[in-house]
Amino acid sequence: MRNLIKIFLFLLPVTALAQGSIGSLTGDESVFYAQTKQVNQFFLRFNGEENVTGKRLYAGDPGFRDLKARKKYLNILFDNSSQTINPDVKFVFIEDALNKKNPAELDFYALGWFAEATCSFTYKKEKVNLILYLKIIRQKEGYKWVISNVYFDRFESWFTHLNDTANVKYFIHPMSHELDFMNLHKAFSEPENLDYYFEQNYTPDMTGLFVMEMKNGNLNFVSVNNLKFHVFQVPGWYFELSYFNRNENNSGWLISNLLRLSEKEKKALMGNYTHIN
Amino acid sequence: MNRIISAIILVAMFAGANIAIAQDNLSPQRKQAIDSLALEKVRDLSKYISIIGDKSTPWSDAQRVIERAVELFMENSEMGVSRKNSPDVSYYKVREYFDRLMQLNYNKVKIDWYKIQYVSDLVRQPDGTYVGVITIYQRFQGYNKENGLVYEDTTKKDITVYVKRKETQIGGRLIGFWDVMLGDIRVKETK
Repeated sequence: MRNLIKIFLFLLPVTALAQGSIGSLTGDESVFYAQTKQVNQFFLRFNGEENVTGKRLYAGDPGFRDLKARKKYLNILFDNSSQTINPDVKFVFIEDALNKKNPAELDFYALGWFAEATCSFTYKKEKVNLILYLKIIRQKEGYKWVISNVYFDRFESWFTHLNDTANVKYFIHPMSHELDFMNLHKAFSEPENLDYYFEQNYTPDMTGLFVMEMKNGNLNFVSVNNLKFHVFQVPGWYFELSYFNRNENNSGWLISNLLRLSEKEKKALMGNYTHIN
Repeated sequence: MNRIISAIILVAMFAGANIAIAQDNLSPQRKQAIDSLALEKVRDLSKYISIIGDKSTPWSDAQRVIERAVELFMENSEMGVSRKNSPDVSYYKVREYFDRLMQLNYNKVKIDWYKIQYVSDLVRQPDGTYVGVITIYQRFQGYNKENGLVYEDTTKKDITVYVKRKETQIGGRLIGFWDVMLGDIRVKETK
């Protein structure tokens, strides 16, 4: 025990040093400092919970969620090269989001945002792209990301006839029940037309198809090739968050798209991708 | 042994700072203390990577350092590596990554680390373990005899850090400590 305490006392300066930086490379690091390095940092910068030197600010710290500082930060959290973000719209967004009465803050743990991961898979040995939508949910005392929806064009192509109201060729006639539906075998003999025989308002469960194809070994994961986030937490607004890997201050996680949306439109969009109503 | 020392250090740091023990919620002070432990592990990793990549390191020493480096990680941890101009990510088990680093075909390799680092918040998982990400930047330079510097890149490394509350007996007393382990690392070429 005494020896351990001696070791501890000996190591004290080391622990103090551990607060310092990892490396010693001297060079122009300004890009790395300016870069929004993690989504976590984007949230903190957006909320004014990090000062200009990168120090984490907590409630009660001077400058915590300071509106003036937030205005400066918010301006640099946009992709400056974007052609899709109108400067006037951006100005209105910043004024709106940082209004003195009720400034908006982003909450990592709350609903109102989700991730879109474009992944490469092999589907029956052919390389394909597939999009996974993920949302963060609470479980017990912790949190986890869950897959909330899947988009794969192959799955979509199986259901192209669902909304075809002009079809008068493929149907199960109304007296089929009297024949114990013996004509079903005709309907099922052409799988390419199978979707004619479903209700028009039937919504295919893409996630279910994804699970089936994965479990059957037809779909195999290769890698996540692109990631972005859709954020609906600012009242009246939607923005997209993307990673810009470039050697300049305006890099890292930045707002890549911005739209004014009503709460009803937001709800519809969110419901589509995350099944949150 | 390392873990016991870390435990004592952390217990002492808490005692010094007079922090109330609340296991579920991490106070900013506790978060800072855990951050420094996590950074210590990342610092060890960065040193090990530099030694493993160094061509003057004898093979047997490099093997020993790989063992130490692997011990920093949770089981099944992987490196996801991508180049700037390709969307594909290659995944390697950490041991395989270190083996590949040791076997790189250069006469001389120089690995340096930038001073900048970023430590995320710690978020609790359903199993009670806290998870965070530390971002660091590395410069890699590969030289050969004929042409000198033939390859150079700067990579951003986002390192998963797992923090778990554990207990150990020291001298008959049960002492709680925070155990820090590294997890998956995403390696992105930045320039």
